[in-house]
Amino acid sequence: MLDFMDHVQNAFYEASHWNLDNSYGALNATAKALLDFRTPRGLRLQISSLAAPNFATSYTIGSVGVVDGSVSYLYSSLPLLRPFKSADLDLHHVIRGYRHLQELRRPDEAWWWEVWHCGKRIDRRDTLLYGRIFLPRSTLEALYLRRLSPTRQLKISAVSDSTLNNGGTILALLQNDVGKYSTEYMYSTDSALMGVRGLYNFGPDPRVGSTSPVAAHEITEPVQGRFSAGAELYYGLLNKSGGISTGLRFTTLPNHTGFPYTMTLTLNPLMGNLSSTYAVKAGPNLALCSRFDFNFYSYESELQLGCELWRRRRNTDVEWAVKRLRPDWKRPTVAPDDDVSGILKARVDQDWRIGLLWEGRIKELLFTLGASLDLKRREQIFRTVGVELQYSS
Amino acid sequence: MAFNFNWSPLIADTSRAREMLTIALNKSPKPPIIVDDIIVTELNLGSTPPELEILEIGDLAEDRFRGIFKMSYTGDAFLTLKTKVQANPLNTLLSTKPDFASPQPLAAASGLTIPLQITLSDIRLSGFVILVFSKQKGLTLVFRNDPLESLKVSSTFDSIPFVRDYLQKEIEGQLRVLFMEDLPAIIHRLSLRLWSEEYQELETEQRLDGSKDTTAPIDPLSTPPQDAVDAFGNPLDEDQIAALSLDPASEVHASFSQKNILRLAALSESQRTLSLFTPSIREAVFRAWANNSDRADSGSNTPALTLSSLSRIQSTFGSIKSNTSSVASGSTGNDTQATRPSLVSAYSGPAGLSLSANRSRTHPMRKRKKRVVNLRKDGTESSGVSTDATNTPFPSTNVSETASVIPEEREGEEEPTTPPRSPTKAAGGGLRFEGKHGSLDVGEPGRVVEKAAPGGLLPAAPLLEEAPKLSKSKHTQKSQSGVFENESKRSRPPLSSNRLRTAQQTTSPLLRSLSFDKVSSISSGSKIPLSPRSSEDGTASTGGILEQAWMLKMAHEIARKVQEEKEKEAVGQDPDTPTRRPRPRPQTSKSAGMLPRGGLWTDEEVDAPPAYVA
Repeated sequence: MLDFMDHVQNAFYEASHWNLDNSYGALNATAKALLDFRTPRGLRLQISSLAAPNFATSYTIGSVGVVDGSVSYLYSSLPLLRPFKSADLDLHHVIRGYRHLQELRRPDEAWWWEVWHCGKRIDRRDTLLYGRIFLPRSTLEALYLRRLSPTRQLKISAVSDSTLNNGGTILALLQNDVGKYSTEYMYSTDSALMGVRGLYNFGPDPRVGSTSPVAAHEITEPVQGRFSAGAELYYGLLNKSGGISTGLRFTTLPNHTGFPYTMTLTLNPLMGNLSSTYAVKAGPNLALCSRFDFNFYSYESELQLGCELWRRRRNTDVEWAVKRLRPDWKRPTVAPDDDVSGILKARVDQDWRIGLLWEGRIKELLFTLGASLDLKRREQIFRTVGVELQYSS
Repeated sequence: MAFNFNWSPLIADTSRAREMLTIALNKSPKPPIIVDDIIVTELNLGSTPPELEILEIGDLAEDRFRGIFKMSYTGDAFLTLKTKVQANPLNTLLSTKPDFASPQPLAAASGLTIPLQITLSDIRLSGFVILVFSKQKGLTLVFRNDPLESLKVSSTFDSIPFVRDYLQKEIEGQLRVLFMEDLPAIIHRLSLRLWSEEYQELETEQRLDGSKDTTAPIDPLSTPPQDAVDAFGNPLDEDQIAALSLDPASEVHASFSQKNILRLAALSESQRTLSLFTPSIREAVFRAWANNSDRADSGSNTPALTLSSLSRIQSTFGSIKSNTSSVASGSTGNDTQATRPSLVSAYSGPAGLSLSANRSRTHPMRKRKKRVVNLRKDGTESSGVSTDATNTPFPSTNVSETASVIPEEREGEEEPTTPPRSPTKAAGGGLRFEGKHGSLDVGEPGRVVEKAAPGGLLPAAPLLEEAPKLSKSKHTQKSQSGVFENESKRSRPPLSSNRLRTAQQTTSPLLRSLSFDKVSSISSGSKIPLSPRSSEDGTASTGGILEQAWMLKMAHEIARKVQEEKEKEAVGQDPDTPTRRPRPRPQTSKSAGMLPRGGLWTDEEVDAPPAYVA
């Protein structure tokens, strides 16, 4: 389950029309959500609130052997209007699962953002500031996010921690997204790491799609999927080491008539690592994913399977009545996922390491139960067990 | 004396050592680049054993050993490790960084684990090793400093200088930890296994022996209550004394009260266990307090040492202090003990300041392990330079004798409890020098005794009177000299009583080890005075060795008679204290008897007569 502050940041991206998925870093977001989910450890409580549309606070207290906690504040220049109360938020916003990509959206025109008043331009760039301090460790996280233009965003994140080299690290990330393609440039003070990422979407260019006349055959054949290719390159100036990878993705779009699915293939030519994922949303409540890693230098391979299951309450008393309802008759519901009793995520790999996650909402509390197991270690099957509770108002 | 280090069996089977090394290597947190367990695949100790130079031997017996070595190793041992490393530098880099500010690459950080084989060879070690061995507790080996001098790391990545340097650095660091922390534990465990499995029967036998040993020393102590005298005024004891006074022999030995014995036992126990608790013993002065007297002792002791037999006795006494359970046969045991001090002295004397510094370093360790005796030792040793200075005359003057004489001296310094030390030493530096010279000059033991005795005895008496505190260190005094008690009851008597008791307790096992010849020699002639005490203890303690015990008894008898005769004379001299009587008798008798004969032993007992006179 997403942290409250991550949720708020996502809301900021949405409000500022930034497409998080159109980035090489998010190429296999689906597989990551289904296979690499984090299992909680120990007990953790989070109380947070969006006091004003522009200001959010969050307090976390946890106990993993020792009690620790964090305090975080967030300021957004853009009012965030999404529901954040834990009682009525959309669970799809906080639980990452299969990412059903939408049609690429044409970027805003720059002049859309202009606000003039009395002959002067008074609009400001949308900005997000975020800070979080972890108390016993005295670790500070800070984030500065600024929408420089409708197609550009600057993100500077920093961590201050005495245990790190030089006492901390700063990462600056400049992102460009024009829909058809996106590029990212980054610099990290940690060993002076520089990086470039790019993603190219094959298919129609959203920028020209609307204006240029559409051929007849294109209309008859709507775009059902999208093919994307990307690459990344890193080089650390100080330690003279680098990394490179390329990736491909094919994913179905909402126009697709069958069940949605996503396939990715990433390759790290330097290290000889080949990774392919296949994720399918088998139904409104079920998503399955598999990943196969193979290294053609060391011949090591790894297989992971994962699934996500949304479990909904069945009210058998009124089931028959619901079936008889006219399909166009909508029942009023308090929250969009009011009937969701919980979401189960599970993963397993070829070494029988199992991760389980049970998330959901009880009354006004969001809960996450998780455990990771290692069936090969008989003496200690449960590696970690944890509970997280969130409340936000 | 020689040690035989058998290197070849170590080479033979290293599987167990490999296992333990593997465990040890995987115990500590590994750097992120190592992604798998480190497995020791090959371990060869090579054909060249390390060179060991014995710096000091603190304890030596058949079943135990404690010593300090200087080790240097330039052999051909090698060690091969296998593990897996992460070859992607980006992966290792990012694994240690917080996610929040990480670029979170998609696949550029994907791992590539490479099996890595590392061979460590050309290992150069040099350092100081402390080796403690006892059959029950196994072998403990500790490095006092970081022994790793250099080593050659060759691996699969030798062609890549960056990786090679990194590995070299990391491995050296790990090895240092290994040598300082893990290796001692491994060796200890190995030794325990060895002795528990293969030598279990042996061990049980030894335990039985050990129990005998322990009982043996108790016996002599238990007997004294029967004999019943506490020299320093426990009323119960006095009653007993009165009852037993008829028997002169008993008087000689029984200067211990049951209570005090128990306390002393507690004291020695507490010293052994490192506990800070020290039972308060009435009228007792601990060695740690009596530095001045110690020096004096060392000086005075020397004359006695010249006698071979005497030296043996002394050494045995000293060893008693160190609590060696003398399993060895009498002769060997004596020899070894005698040799021990010599080693020490040789080391400290000629080695100069650096060595002495070393030594002083080591002392704290020893201190912990040893009992009361050690405390004093440490004190003297720590001020090693000063003591050396006093000693120096001997070696310089009589170079030829140094080997035998010096060690003895050393012993005296280190272990003040040794019986031969006499009040004279304590009394003054001048006395001791005289004593030394006398002893040194005289090639033959008998002569030495004679010469030394008169010189030391006469001057000693006045000194004692003047400064009784100095003489505290001698245990023998108090039992011997009632006069002393009167003069300085508070300080001196406690010391002497304590020492005596400790000495007796400790000595008994050693005495056992004494061969017949020695016993007889002791009992005969000048040595007699000493012998009664020690011999009695020996008889009690020996238990198993009946013959020796019997011999000792006989010796005591003889000595007693001699003493009695002299006692009569002495009694006539000092009528003052009734309680004294039992004590004075032995002293006076001893001293009287001794003086004419001029035995070295007189040193101890000789003092008494002057006191009387005074």
